[in-house]
Amino acid sequence: MKPIRTLVDTAKPHFHKGGRFEKLHPAFDALETFLFVPGHTTHNGVHIRDAMDLKRAMFTVIVALTPTLLFGMWNVGYQHYQAYGMQVSFVDNFLFGAQRVLPIVIVSYAVGLGVEFIFAILRGHQVSEGYLVTGMLIPLILPVTIPLWMVGLAAIFCTVLGKEIFGGTGMNFMNPALLARAFLFFAFPAYMTGDVWVDLTPEPGHALVDAYSGATSLVAFDTNWTDMPSAWRQFWGFEAGSIGETSTFACLLGALLLIGTGVGSWKIIVACCLGALGMGLLMNVLAPADIANHAMHTPAYYHLLMGGFAFGAVYMATDPVSAAHTERGKWIYGILIGVFTVVLRVFNPAYPEGVMLAILLMNVFAPLIDHVVVEQHIKTRSKRA
Amino acid sequence: MYELINIFIRAIFIENVIFAFFLGMCSFLAVSKKIKTAFGLGLAVIFVMVLTTPLNYLILNYMLGEGALAWIHPSLASVDLTFLAFILFISTIAGAVQLVEMSVEKFVPALYASLGIFLPLITVNCSILGTSLFMQERQYTFAETAVFSLGAGVGFFLAIVLLAAIRERLRYSNVPQPLQGLGIAMIITALMGLAFLSFSGIKL
Repeated sequence: MKPIRTLVDTAKPHFHKGGRFEKLHPAFDALETFLFVPGHTTHNGVHIRDAMDLKRAMFTVIVALTPTLLFGMWNVGYQHYQAYGMQVSFVDNFLFGAQRVLPIVIVSYAVGLGVEFIFAILRGHQVSEGYLVTGMLIPLILPVTIPLWMVGLAAIFCTVLGKEIFGGTGMNFMNPALLARAFLFFAFPAYMTGDVWVDLTPEPGHALVDAYSGATSLVAFDTNWTDMPSAWRQFWGFEAGSIGETSTFACLLGALLLIGTGVGSWKIIVACCLGALGMGLLMNVLAPADIANHAMHTPAYYHLLMGGFAFGAVYMATDPVSAAHTERGKWIYGILIGVFTVVLRVFNPAYPEGVMLAILLMNVFAPLIDHVVVEQHIKTRSKRA
Repeated sequence: MYELINIFIRAIFIENVIFAFFLGMCSFLAVSKKIKTAFGLGLAVIFVMVLTTPLNYLILNYMLGEGALAWIHPSLASVDLTFLAFILFISTIAGAVQLVEMSVEKFVPALYASLGIFLPLITVNCSILGTSLFMQERQYTFAETAVFSLGAGVGFFLAIVLLAAIRERLRYSNVPQPLQGLGIAMIITALMGLAFLSFSGIKL
Protein backbone atom coordinates (compact mmCIF):
# COMPACT_ATOMS: atom_id res chain seq x y z
CA MET A 1 0.00 0.00 0.00
CA LYS A 2 2.73 2.44 0.98
CA PRO A 3 4.44 2.74 -2.43
CA ILE A 4 1.08 3.25 -4.15
CA ARG A 5 0.17 5.99 -1.66
CA THR A 6 3.46 7.80 -2.28
CA LEU A 7 3.02 7.47 -6.01
CA VAL A 8 -0.47 8.96 -5.82
CA ASP A 9 0.76 11.74 -3.53
CA THR A 10 3.61 12.72 -5.83
CA ALA A 11 1.31 12.80 -8.84
CA LYS A 12 -1.40 14.73 -7.03
CA PRO A 13 -0.12 18.32 -7.39
CA HIS A 14 -0.08 18.06 -11.16
CA PHE A 15 -3.81 17.44 -11.23
CA HIS A 16 -4.84 20.24 -8.89
CA LYS A 17 -5.72 23.80 -9.83
CA GLY A 18 -2.80 25.29 -11.72
CA GLY A 19 -1.15 21.93 -12.27
CA ARG A 20 -0.11 20.61 -15.65
CA PHE A 21 -3.04 18.18 -15.99
CA GLU A 22 -5.66 20.28 -14.26
CA LYS A 23 -8.23 19.26 -16.89
CA LEU A 24 -7.78 15.60 -16.06
CA HIS A 25 -8.53 16.08 -12.36
CA PRO A 26 -11.82 14.09 -12.43
CA ALA A 27 -10.01 11.10 -13.90
CA PHE A 28 -7.28 11.29 -11.29
CA ASP A 29 -9.76 11.78 -8.51
CA ALA A 30 -11.69 8.70 -9.61
CA LEU A 31 -8.56 6.56 -9.48
CA GLU A 32 -7.47 7.92 -6.13
CA THR A 33 -10.79 7.40 -4.39
CA PHE A 34 -11.03 3.99 -5.98
CA LEU A 35 -7.75 2.98 -4.34
CA PHE A 36 -8.15 4.77 -1.01
CA VAL A 37 -11.10 5.87 1.08
CA PRO A 38 -11.04 9.65 0.68
CA GLY A 39 -9.92 11.59 3.74
CA HIS A 40 -12.30 14.49 3.39
CA THR A 41 -13.83 15.95 6.53
CA THR A 42 -17.13 17.74 6.68
CA HIS A 43 -17.05 21.46 7.35
CA ASN A 44 -20.58 22.13 8.46
CA GLY A 45 -23.94 20.49 8.89
CA VAL A 46 -24.31 16.86 9.74
CA HIS A 47 -21.12 15.12 10.78
CA ILE A 48 -22.24 11.52 10.60
CA ARG A 49 -19.88 9.60 8.34
CA ASP A 50 -20.16 6.04 7.20
CA ALA A 51 -17.55 3.82 5.61
CA MET A 52 -20.31 2.59 3.32
CA ASP A 53 -19.99 5.23 0.61
CA LEU A 54 -21.19 4.93 -2.96
CA LYS A 55 -18.03 3.15 -4.08
CA ARG A 56 -18.31 0.48 -1.40
CA ALA A 57 -22.03 0.01 -2.16
CA MET A 58 -21.34 -0.46 -5.85
CA PHE A 59 -18.54 -2.85 -5.07
CA THR A 60 -20.90 -4.96 -2.97
CA VAL A 61 -23.12 -5.32 -6.02
CA ILE A 62 -20.12 -6.40 -8.12
CA VAL A 63 -19.28 -9.06 -5.53
CA ALA A 64 -22.93 -10.14 -5.54
CA LEU A 65 -22.71 -10.46 -9.32
CA THR A 66 -19.69 -12.77 -9.35
CA PRO A 67 -21.64 -16.03 -8.81
CA THR A 68 -23.72 -15.32 -11.90
CA LEU A 69 -20.66 -14.30 -13.90
CA LEU A 70 -18.68 -17.43 -12.97
CA PHE A 71 -21.65 -19.69 -13.51
CA GLY A 72 -22.36 -17.95 -16.81
CA MET A 73 -18.82 -18.60 -18.03
CA TRP A 74 -19.10 -22.26 -17.16
CA ASN A 75 -22.54 -22.54 -18.72
CA VAL A 76 -21.42 -20.95 -22.00
CA GLY A 77 -18.81 -23.69 -22.33
CA TYR A 78 -21.21 -26.38 -21.15
CA GLN A 79 -23.88 -25.41 -23.70
CA HIS A 80 -21.28 -25.24 -26.45
CA TYR A 81 -19.86 -28.72 -25.85
CA GLN A 82 -23.33 -30.06 -25.19
CA ALA A 83 -24.44 -28.95 -28.66
CA TYR A 84 -21.59 -30.99 -30.17
CA GLY A 85 -22.25 -33.94 -27.91
CA MET A 86 -18.79 -33.72 -26.32
CA GLN A 87 -18.03 -34.64 -22.74
CA VAL A 88 -15.30 -32.36 -21.44
CA SER A 89 -14.00 -31.53 -17.98
CA PHE A 90 -15.29 -28.77 -15.73
CA VAL A 91 -12.17 -26.71 -16.36
CA ASP A 92 -12.50 -26.99 -20.14
CA ASN A 93 -16.09 -25.82 -20.00
CA PHE A 94 -15.08 -22.91 -17.86
CA LEU A 95 -12.08 -21.94 -20.00
CA PHE A 96 -14.12 -21.96 -23.20
CA GLY A 97 -16.75 -19.74 -21.57
CA ALA A 98 -14.18 -17.37 -20.13
CA GLN A 99 -12.66 -16.94 -23.58
CA ARG A 100 -16.01 -15.89 -24.97
CA VAL A 101 -17.33 -13.84 -22.05
CA LEU A 102 -14.27 -11.86 -20.97
CA PRO A 103 -13.95 -9.89 -24.26
CA ILE A 104 -17.58 -8.76 -23.88
CA VAL A 105 -16.94 -7.66 -20.30
CA ILE A 106 -13.76 -5.85 -21.29
CA VAL A 107 -15.40 -4.01 -24.20
CA SER A 108 -18.36 -3.02 -22.03
CA TYR A 109 -16.08 -1.60 -19.33
CA ALA A 110 -13.59 0.06 -21.66
CA VAL A 111 -16.17 1.81 -23.81
CA GLY A 112 -18.53 2.77 -21.00
CA LEU A 113 -15.83 4.04 -18.67
CA GLY A 114 -14.27 5.90 -21.60
CA VAL A 115 -17.51 7.76 -22.19
CA GLU A 116 -17.84 8.35 -18.47
CA PHE A 117 -14.34 9.87 -18.22
CA ILE A 118 -14.94 12.08 -21.27
CA PHE A 119 -18.13 13.44 -19.75
CA ALA A 120 -16.51 13.92 -16.35
CA ILE A 121 -13.64 15.89 -17.84
CA LEU A 122 -15.84 17.97 -20.16
CA ARG A 123 -18.46 18.76 -17.54
CA GLY A 124 -16.05 18.97 -14.62
CA HIS A 125 -17.84 16.56 -12.30
CA GLN A 126 -16.40 13.55 -10.53
CA VAL A 127 -16.32 10.19 -12.22
CA SER A 128 -19.02 8.21 -10.50
CA GLU A 129 -18.86 4.55 -9.65
CA GLY A 130 -22.25 3.66 -11.06
CA TYR A 131 -20.75 2.37 -14.25
CA LEU A 132 -18.81 -0.34 -12.42
CA VAL A 133 -22.12 -2.11 -11.89
CA THR A 134 -23.71 -1.17 -15.22
CA GLY A 135 -20.63 -2.33 -17.09
CA MET A 136 -20.87 -5.73 -15.43
CA LEU A 137 -24.63 -6.04 -15.89
CA ILE A 138 -24.56 -5.39 -19.64
CA PRO A 139 -22.53 -8.50 -20.59
CA LEU A 140 -24.55 -10.69 -18.24
CA ILE A 141 -27.86 -9.94 -19.96
CA LEU A 142 -26.62 -10.38 -23.55
CA PRO A 143 -26.39 -13.54 -25.63
CA VAL A 144 -22.84 -14.85 -25.89
CA THR A 145 -22.80 -14.59 -29.69
CA ILE A 146 -23.32 -10.81 -29.68
CA PRO A 147 -20.77 -8.98 -31.89
CA LEU A 148 -18.39 -6.90 -29.80
CA TRP A 149 -19.09 -3.66 -31.66
CA MET A 150 -22.73 -3.93 -30.66
CA VAL A 151 -21.72 -4.25 -27.03
CA GLY A 152 -19.70 -1.06 -27.43
CA LEU A 153 -22.53 0.74 -29.18
CA ALA A 154 -25.01 -0.25 -26.49
CA ALA A 155 -22.58 0.86 -23.78
CA ILE A 156 -22.25 4.27 -25.43
CA PHE A 157 -26.01 4.59 -25.89
CA CYS A 158 -26.90 3.73 -22.34
CA THR A 159 -24.15 5.80 -20.75
CA VAL A 160 -24.87 8.92 -22.79
CA LEU A 161 -28.66 8.86 -23.18
CA GLY A 162 -29.48 6.81 -20.13
CA LYS A 163 -27.30 8.55 -17.60
CA GLU A 164 -24.82 11.26 -18.47
CA ILE A 165 -27.40 13.44 -20.16
CA PHE A 166 -29.24 13.63 -16.85
CA GLY A 167 -26.07 14.50 -14.95
CA GLY A 168 -24.59 11.10 -14.12
CA THR A 169 -25.13 8.43 -11.49
CA GLY A 170 -28.18 8.92 -9.33
CA MET A 171 -29.86 11.43 -11.61
CA ASN A 172 -31.27 9.09 -14.24
CA PHE A 173 -34.73 7.52 -14.16
CA MET A 174 -34.14 4.33 -16.10
CA ASN A 175 -31.79 1.48 -15.39
CA PRO A 176 -28.93 2.06 -17.87
CA ALA A 177 -28.03 -1.62 -18.29
CA LEU A 178 -31.60 -2.53 -19.14
CA LEU A 179 -31.71 0.40 -21.52
CA ALA A 180 -28.65 -1.02 -23.28
CA ARG A 181 -30.36 -4.37 -23.69
CA ALA A 182 -33.64 -2.84 -24.84
CA PHE A 183 -31.71 -0.72 -27.34
CA LEU A 184 -29.99 -3.76 -28.84
CA PHE A 185 -33.20 -5.74 -28.69
CA PHE A 186 -35.17 -3.24 -30.77
CA ALA A 187 -32.31 -2.10 -33.01
CA PHE A 188 -30.80 -5.49 -33.89
CA PRO A 189 -33.53 -8.05 -33.23
CA ALA A 190 -31.78 -10.67 -35.38
CA TYR A 191 -28.85 -10.71 -32.96
CA MET A 192 -30.98 -10.78 -29.83
CA THR A 193 -33.59 -13.43 -30.59
CA GLY A 194 -33.69 -16.82 -32.21
CA ASP A 195 -30.69 -19.06 -32.51
CA VAL A 196 -28.16 -16.84 -30.74
CA TRP A 197 -27.96 -18.24 -27.24
CA VAL A 198 -25.33 -20.93 -27.74
CA ASP A 199 -21.86 -20.37 -29.13
CA LEU A 200 -21.67 -22.72 -32.11
CA THR A 201 -18.06 -22.21 -33.16
CA PRO A 202 -17.34 -25.39 -35.13
CA GLU A 203 -15.44 -28.11 -33.31
CA PRO A 204 -13.18 -29.97 -35.76
CA GLY A 205 -14.24 -33.58 -36.00
CA HIS A 206 -17.60 -33.10 -34.34
CA ALA A 207 -21.01 -32.36 -35.81
CA LEU A 208 -24.01 -30.84 -34.08
CA VAL A 209 -25.99 -33.47 -32.22
CA ASP A 210 -29.33 -34.38 -33.76
CA ALA A 211 -31.44 -33.39 -30.82
CA TYR A 212 -29.82 -29.98 -30.62
CA SER A 213 -32.18 -27.02 -30.43
CA GLY A 214 -30.82 -23.61 -29.56
CA ALA A 215 -34.12 -22.38 -28.19
CA THR A 216 -34.31 -21.00 -24.67
CA SER A 217 -36.87 -22.30 -22.26
CA LEU A 218 -38.92 -19.17 -22.89
CA VAL A 219 -39.36 -19.95 -26.56
CA ALA A 220 -40.43 -23.49 -25.76
CA PHE A 221 -42.80 -22.02 -23.21
CA ASP A 222 -44.73 -20.02 -25.79
CA THR A 223 -45.60 -22.98 -27.96
CA ASN A 224 -45.89 -25.75 -25.39
CA TRP A 225 -44.95 -25.19 -21.81
CA THR A 226 -44.46 -28.89 -21.13
CA ASP A 227 -41.45 -28.80 -23.51
CA MET A 228 -39.51 -26.70 -21.04
CA PRO A 229 -36.56 -28.15 -19.11
CA SER A 230 -37.49 -29.45 -15.68
CA ALA A 231 -37.85 -26.99 -12.82
CA TRP A 232 -34.61 -28.20 -11.21
CA ARG A 233 -32.66 -27.74 -14.40
CA GLN A 234 -33.97 -24.21 -14.66
CA PHE A 235 -33.23 -23.55 -11.00
CA TRP A 236 -29.57 -24.54 -11.38
CA GLY A 237 -29.44 -22.92 -14.81
CA PHE A 238 -28.18 -25.70 -17.10
CA GLU A 239 -29.99 -24.22 -20.07
CA ALA A 240 -29.43 -21.82 -22.94
CA GLY A 241 -29.98 -18.11 -22.34
CA SER A 242 -28.22 -14.81 -21.74
CA ILE A 243 -24.76 -15.22 -20.26
CA GLY A 244 -25.48 -14.58 -16.61
CA GLU A 245 -29.18 -14.94 -16.12
CA THR A 246 -29.88 -18.65 -16.50
CA SER A 247 -29.12 -19.76 -12.96
CA THR A 248 -31.70 -18.87 -10.34
CA PHE A 249 -29.38 -20.41 -7.75
CA ALA A 250 -26.51 -18.02 -8.52
CA CYS A 251 -28.92 -15.08 -8.33
CA LEU A 252 -30.11 -16.31 -4.93
CA LEU A 253 -26.52 -16.25 -3.65
CA GLY A 254 -26.24 -12.66 -4.87
CA ALA A 255 -29.59 -11.80 -3.32
CA LEU A 256 -28.41 -13.07 0.07
CA LEU A 257 -25.41 -10.75 -0.05
CA LEU A 258 -27.43 -7.76 -1.28
CA ILE A 259 -30.11 -8.22 1.36
CA GLY A 260 -27.59 -9.01 4.11
CA THR A 261 -25.63 -5.83 3.47
CA GLY A 262 -28.77 -3.79 2.92
CA VAL A 263 -27.61 -2.65 -0.51
CA GLY A 264 -30.59 -4.18 -2.27
CA SER A 265 -34.13 -3.76 -0.98
CA TRP A 266 -35.62 -7.08 0.15
CA LYS A 267 -39.07 -5.57 -0.22
CA ILE A 268 -38.66 -5.19 -3.97
CA ILE A 269 -37.32 -8.72 -4.43
CA VAL A 270 -40.10 -10.27 -2.35
CA ALA A 271 -42.75 -8.10 -4.02
CA CYS A 272 -41.54 -9.13 -7.51
CA CYS A 273 -41.87 -12.81 -6.58
CA LEU A 274 -45.30 -12.27 -5.01
CA GLY A 275 -46.52 -10.38 -8.07
CA ALA A 276 -45.33 -13.06 -10.48
CA LEU A 277 -46.71 -15.89 -8.34
CA GLY A 278 -50.07 -14.19 -7.93
CA MET A 279 -50.40 -13.40 -11.63
CA GLY A 280 -49.22 -16.92 -12.51
CA LEU A 281 -51.92 -18.43 -10.30
CA LEU A 282 -54.55 -16.13 -11.80
CA MET A 283 -53.47 -17.26 -15.27
CA ASN A 284 -53.82 -20.90 -14.19
CA VAL A 285 -57.38 -20.23 -13.09
CA LEU A 286 -58.28 -18.39 -16.29
CA ALA A 287 -56.45 -20.76 -18.65
CA PRO A 288 -58.51 -22.41 -21.38
CA ALA A 289 -59.24 -25.93 -20.19
CA ASP A 290 -59.34 -27.47 -23.65
CA ILE A 291 -55.75 -26.57 -24.62
CA ALA A 292 -53.68 -28.54 -22.14
CA ASN A 293 -50.27 -27.12 -23.06
CA HIS A 294 -51.32 -23.45 -23.42
CA ALA A 295 -48.80 -21.05 -21.87
CA MET A 296 -51.39 -19.96 -19.32
CA HIS A 297 -51.24 -23.43 -17.75
CA THR A 298 -47.61 -23.00 -16.72
CA PRO A 299 -47.30 -23.62 -12.97
CA ALA A 300 -46.85 -20.26 -11.24
CA TYR A 301 -43.50 -21.12 -9.63
CA TYR A 302 -42.05 -21.80 -13.10
CA HIS A 303 -42.23 -18.07 -13.75
CA LEU A 304 -39.76 -17.48 -10.94
CA LEU A 305 -37.28 -19.98 -12.40
CA MET A 306 -37.69 -19.28 -16.10
CA GLY A 307 -35.47 -16.98 -18.12
CA GLY A 308 -34.04 -13.95 -16.41
CA PHE A 309 -36.72 -13.39 -13.79
CA ALA A 310 -34.45 -13.98 -10.79
CA PHE A 311 -31.67 -11.91 -12.32
CA GLY A 312 -34.03 -9.04 -13.06
CA ALA A 313 -35.70 -9.09 -9.66
CA VAL A 314 -32.42 -9.29 -7.73
CA TYR A 315 -30.07 -7.02 -9.66
CA MET A 316 -32.18 -4.82 -11.91
CA ALA A 317 -35.37 -4.05 -10.03
CA THR A 318 -33.46 -3.19 -6.86
CA ASP A 319 -31.41 -0.46 -8.56
CA PRO A 320 -31.98 2.25 -5.94
CA VAL A 321 -31.96 5.08 -8.49
CA SER A 322 -34.61 3.90 -10.90
CA ALA A 323 -36.82 2.03 -8.41
CA ALA A 324 -39.55 3.62 -6.33
CA HIS A 325 -38.02 5.52 -3.42
CA THR A 326 -40.80 5.30 -0.84
CA GLU A 327 -41.14 2.15 1.26
CA ARG A 328 -44.77 1.51 0.37
CA GLY A 329 -44.00 2.45 -3.21
CA LYS A 330 -41.41 -0.34 -3.35
CA TRP A 331 -44.07 -2.94 -2.68
CA ILE A 332 -46.32 -1.58 -5.41
CA TYR A 333 -43.39 -1.25 -7.80
CA GLY A 334 -42.21 -4.81 -7.19
CA ILE A 335 -45.63 -6.41 -7.43
CA LEU A 336 -46.34 -4.61 -10.70
CA ILE A 337 -43.02 -5.85 -12.13
CA GLY A 338 -44.01 -9.42 -11.32
CA VAL A 339 -47.49 -8.97 -12.77
CA PHE A 340 -46.32 -7.34 -16.00
CA THR A 341 -43.57 -9.92 -16.44
CA VAL A 342 -46.09 -12.74 -16.48
CA VAL A 343 -48.55 -10.78 -18.64
CA LEU A 344 -45.89 -9.98 -21.25
CA ARG A 345 -44.51 -13.51 -21.25
CA VAL A 346 -47.90 -15.10 -21.75
CA PHE A 347 -49.62 -12.62 -24.06
CA ASN A 348 -46.78 -11.18 -26.09
CA PRO A 349 -45.24 -13.87 -28.28
CA ALA A 350 -42.93 -11.27 -29.86
CA TYR A 351 -41.04 -10.70 -26.59
CA PRO A 352 -40.69 -13.92 -24.68
CA GLU A 353 -38.49 -12.27 -22.07
CA GLY A 354 -40.93 -10.07 -20.21
CA VAL A 355 -38.72 -9.17 -17.25
CA MET A 356 -36.58 -6.59 -19.02
CA LEU A 357 -39.54 -4.71 -20.46
CA ALA A 358 -41.58 -5.00 -17.27
CA ILE A 359 -38.80 -3.40 -15.24
CA LEU A 360 -38.22 -0.66 -17.83
CA LEU A 361 -41.93 0.08 -17.81
CA MET A 362 -42.00 0.25 -14.04
CA ASN A 363 -38.96 2.57 -14.10
CA VAL A 364 -41.25 4.90 -16.03
CA PHE A 365 -44.05 4.42 -13.50
CA ALA A 366 -41.89 4.66 -10.36
CA PRO A 367 -41.96 8.48 -10.00
CA LEU A 368 -45.75 8.48 -10.29
CA ILE A 369 -46.04 5.66 -7.74
CA ASP A 370 -43.89 7.67 -5.33
CA HIS A 371 -45.95 10.78 -5.92
CA VAL A 372 -49.21 8.96 -5.20
CA VAL A 373 -47.78 7.33 -2.05
CA VAL A 374 -46.52 10.66 -0.71
CA GLU A 375 -49.78 12.46 -1.47
CA GLN A 376 -51.73 9.68 0.21
CA HIS A 377 -49.50 9.90 3.24
CA ILE A 378 -49.99 13.65 3.50
CA LYS A 379 -53.73 13.17 3.25
CA THR A 380 -53.95 10.56 6.03
CA ARG A 381 -51.64 12.57 8.30
CA SER A 382 -53.58 15.78 7.86
CA LYS A 383 -56.83 13.91 8.53
CA ARG A 384 -55.39 12.60 11.79
CA ALA A 385 -54.31 16.04 12.93
CA MET B 1 -68.14 -7.21 -24.72
CA TYR B 2 -64.74 -8.86 -25.10
CA GLU B 3 -64.13 -6.77 -28.21
CA LEU B 4 -64.90 -3.54 -26.30
CA ILE B 5 -62.44 -4.34 -23.48
CA ASN B 6 -59.91 -5.21 -26.14
CA ILE B 7 -60.31 -1.79 -27.82
CA PHE B 8 -60.09 0.00 -24.48
CA ILE B 9 -56.85 -1.73 -23.41
CA ARG B 10 -55.34 -1.31 -26.87
CA ALA B 11 -56.08 2.42 -26.88
CA ILE B 12 -54.43 2.95 -23.50
CA PHE B 13 -51.31 0.80 -23.75
CA ILE B 14 -50.66 -0.74 -27.14
CA GLU B 15 -51.75 2.12 -29.38
CA ASN B 16 -51.16 4.96 -26.96
CA VAL B 17 -51.74 8.26 -28.81
CA ILE B 18 -48.49 9.67 -27.48
CA PHE B 19 -46.06 6.75 -27.53
CA ALA B 20 -47.34 4.88 -30.57
CA PHE B 21 -48.56 7.74 -32.79
CA PHE B 22 -46.81 10.84 -31.40
CA LEU B 23 -50.04 12.82 -31.54
CA GLY B 24 -50.63 15.78 -29.26
CA MET B 25 -46.96 16.30 -28.51
CA CYS B 26 -47.17 20.08 -28.10
CA SER B 27 -49.31 20.17 -24.99
CA PHE B 28 -47.77 16.89 -23.81
CA LEU B 29 -44.32 18.48 -23.72
CA ALA B 30 -45.38 21.95 -22.63
CA VAL B 31 -47.76 21.23 -19.75
CA SER B 32 -45.84 18.40 -18.10
CA LYS B 33 -43.63 20.35 -15.71
CA LYS B 34 -45.89 19.80 -12.71
CA ILE B 35 -48.07 16.81 -11.88
CA LYS B 36 -50.97 19.01 -10.78
CA THR B 37 -51.34 20.89 -14.06
CA ALA B 38 -50.65 17.75 -16.08
CA PHE B 39 -53.40 16.03 -14.13
CA GLY B 40 -55.81 18.88 -14.94
CA LEU B 41 -54.95 18.97 -18.62
CA GLY B 42 -55.18 15.18 -18.83
CA LEU B 43 -58.69 15.26 -17.36
CA ALA B 44 -59.70 18.04 -19.74
CA VAL B 45 -58.44 15.99 -22.70
CA ILE B 46 -60.33 12.90 -21.51
CA PHE B 47 -63.48 14.98 -21.22
CA VAL B 48 -63.16 16.59 -24.65
CA MET B 49 -62.34 13.26 -26.28
CA VAL B 50 -65.25 11.42 -24.72
CA LEU B 51 -67.57 14.25 -25.68
CA THR B 52 -66.41 14.92 -29.23
CA THR B 53 -65.56 11.53 -30.70
CA PRO B 54 -69.05 10.01 -30.27
CA LEU B 55 -70.53 13.34 -31.41
CA ASN B 56 -68.34 13.22 -34.49
CA TYR B 57 -69.46 9.65 -35.02
CA LEU B 58 -73.06 10.80 -35.17
CA ILE B 59 -72.18 13.67 -37.50
CA LEU B 60 -70.24 11.34 -39.77
CA ASN B 61 -72.90 8.66 -39.90
CA TYR B 62 -76.02 10.80 -40.10
CA MET B 63 -74.78 13.82 -42.09
CA LEU B 64 -71.54 13.36 -43.93
CA GLY B 65 -71.00 9.79 -45.01
CA GLU B 66 -72.14 8.47 -48.36
CA GLY B 67 -75.90 8.03 -48.20
CA ALA B 68 -76.00 9.24 -44.61
CA LEU B 69 -78.61 11.86 -45.41
CA ALA B 70 -81.10 9.30 -46.66
CA TRP B 71 -83.02 9.60 -43.41
CA ILE B 72 -84.16 13.11 -44.49
CA HIS B 73 -85.29 12.22 -47.97
CA PRO B 74 -84.57 9.18 -50.17
CA SER B 75 -83.38 11.45 -52.97
CA LEU B 76 -80.42 12.51 -50.82
CA ALA B 77 -79.09 8.94 -50.67
CA SER B 78 -76.46 9.64 -53.35
CA VAL B 79 -74.94 12.67 -51.53
CA ASP B 80 -71.46 12.20 -50.10
CA LEU B 81 -70.22 15.02 -47.89
CA THR B 82 -67.24 13.20 -46.40
CA PHE B 83 -64.91 15.97 -47.63
CA LEU B 84 -66.42 18.16 -44.89
CA ALA B 85 -65.30 15.79 -42.16
CA PHE B 86 -62.20 17.73 -41.15
CA ILE B 87 -63.86 21.09 -40.77
CA LEU B 88 -66.90 19.72 -38.94
CA PHE B 89 -64.80 17.55 -36.62
CA ILE B 90 -62.68 20.54 -35.68
CA SER B 91 -65.76 22.69 -35.09
CA THR B 92 -67.23 20.10 -32.72
CA ILE B 93 -63.93 19.94 -30.87
CA ALA B 94 -63.71 23.74 -30.67
CA GLY B 95 -67.20 23.88 -29.26
CA ALA B 96 -66.46 21.24 -26.63
CA VAL B 97 -63.24 22.98 -25.64
CA GLN B 98 -65.14 26.24 -25.23
CA LEU B 99 -67.43 24.42 -22.82
CA VAL B 100 -64.51 23.00 -20.85
CA GLU B 101 -62.78 26.37 -20.75
CA MET B 102 -65.78 28.16 -19.33
CA SER B 103 -66.42 25.55 -16.68
CA VAL B 104 -62.76 25.33 -15.64
CA GLU B 105 -62.56 29.12 -15.37
CA LYS B 106 -65.69 29.16 -13.25
CA PHE B 107 -65.00 26.24 -10.93
CA VAL B 108 -61.19 25.81 -10.78
CA PRO B 109 -59.70 29.26 -11.45
CA ALA B 110 -56.27 28.17 -10.16
CA LEU B 111 -56.04 25.43 -12.75
CA TYR B 112 -57.32 27.84 -15.39
CA ALA B 113 -54.47 30.21 -14.61
CA SER B 114 -51.80 27.52 -14.64
CA LEU B 115 -52.99 25.91 -17.88
CA GLY B 116 -52.99 29.29 -19.61
CA ILE B 117 -53.02 29.17 -23.38
CA PHE B 118 -52.88 25.38 -23.45
CA LEU B 119 -56.50 24.99 -22.43
CA PRO B 120 -57.95 26.69 -25.55
CA LEU B 121 -55.19 25.02 -27.53
CA ILE B 122 -56.77 21.62 -26.85
CA THR B 123 -58.86 22.58 -29.87
CA VAL B 124 -55.90 21.98 -32.12
CA ASN B 125 -54.52 19.11 -30.03
CA CYS B 126 -53.86 16.57 -32.74
CA SER B 127 -54.53 13.64 -30.43
CA ILE B 128 -58.20 14.66 -30.25
CA LEU B 129 -58.69 15.19 -33.96
CA GLY B 130 -56.59 12.05 -34.46
CA THR B 131 -58.96 10.02 -32.30
CA SER B 132 -61.92 11.20 -34.38
CA LEU B 133 -60.11 10.35 -37.60
CA PHE B 134 -59.11 6.90 -36.32
CA MET B 135 -62.75 6.37 -35.50
CA GLN B 136 -63.62 7.19 -39.13
CA GLU B 137 -60.79 5.14 -40.61
CA ARG B 138 -61.38 2.02 -38.53
CA GLN B 139 -65.16 2.16 -38.99
CA TYR B 140 -66.04 1.59 -35.36
CA THR B 141 -69.62 1.17 -34.22
CA PHE B 142 -71.06 3.71 -31.78
CA ALA B 143 -70.29 1.65 -28.68
CA GLU B 144 -66.77 0.97 -29.94
CA THR B 145 -66.29 4.68 -30.63
CA ALA B 146 -67.33 5.59 -27.10
CA VAL B 147 -64.99 3.04 -25.53
CA PHE B 148 -62.16 3.92 -27.89
CA SER B 149 -62.40 7.64 -27.13
CA LEU B 150 -62.30 6.95 -23.39
CA GLY B 151 -59.29 4.67 -23.88
CA ALA B 152 -57.44 7.19 -26.00
CA GLY B 153 -58.18 9.91 -23.44
CA VAL B 154 -56.95 7.77 -20.54
CA GLY B 155 -53.86 6.92 -22.61
CA PHE B 156 -53.05 10.60 -23.06
CA PHE B 157 -53.78 11.28 -19.39
CA LEU B 158 -51.51 8.45 -18.26
CA ALA B 159 -48.70 9.56 -20.58
CA ILE B 160 -48.73 13.21 -19.51
CA VAL B 161 -48.97 12.42 -15.78
CA LEU B 162 -46.10 9.90 -16.07
CA LEU B 163 -43.94 12.44 -17.87
CA ALA B 164 -44.77 15.10 -15.29
CA ALA B 165 -43.84 12.74 -12.44
CA ILE B 166 -40.51 11.93 -14.09
CA ARG B 167 -39.80 15.59 -14.75
CA GLU B 168 -40.58 16.43 -11.13
CA ARG B 169 -38.13 13.76 -10.00
CA LEU B 170 -35.49 15.02 -12.42
CA ARG B 171 -35.76 18.58 -11.14
CA TYR B 172 -32.51 18.18 -9.21
CA SER B 173 -30.62 16.41 -11.96
CA ASN B 174 -27.76 18.14 -13.70
CA VAL B 175 -28.84 18.37 -17.31
CA PRO B 176 -26.44 20.10 -19.73
CA GLN B 177 -27.48 23.68 -20.39
CA PRO B 178 -28.50 23.33 -24.07
CA LEU B 179 -30.79 20.41 -23.27
CA GLN B 180 -32.63 21.87 -20.32
CA GLY B 181 -36.39 22.10 -20.64
CA LEU B 182 -37.80 20.88 -23.92
CA GLY B 183 -34.69 19.05 -25.07
CA ILE B 184 -34.53 16.70 -22.13
CA ALA B 185 -38.33 16.30 -22.18
CA MET B 186 -38.09 14.95 -25.72
CA ILE B 187 -35.33 12.54 -24.74
CA ILE B 188 -37.39 11.34 -21.77
CA THR B 189 -40.39 10.87 -24.06
CA ALA B 190 -38.29 8.76 -26.41
CA LEU B 191 -37.05 6.59 -23.53
CA MET B 192 -40.62 6.20 -22.26
CA GLY B 193 -41.66 5.21 -25.76
CA LEU B 194 -38.99 2.51 -25.68
CA ALA B 195 -40.53 1.12 -22.49
CA PHE B 196 -44.04 1.27 -23.96
CA LEU B 197 -42.80 -0.68 -26.98
CA SER B 198 -43.08 -3.70 -24.72
CA PHE B 199 -46.80 -3.74 -25.44
CA SER B 200 -46.51 -3.70 -29.21
CA GLY B 201 -47.31 -7.11 -30.57
CA ILE B 202 -49.59 -8.15 -27.74
CA LYS B 203 -52.49 -10.09 -29.16
CA LEU B 204 -55.65 -9.71 -27.15
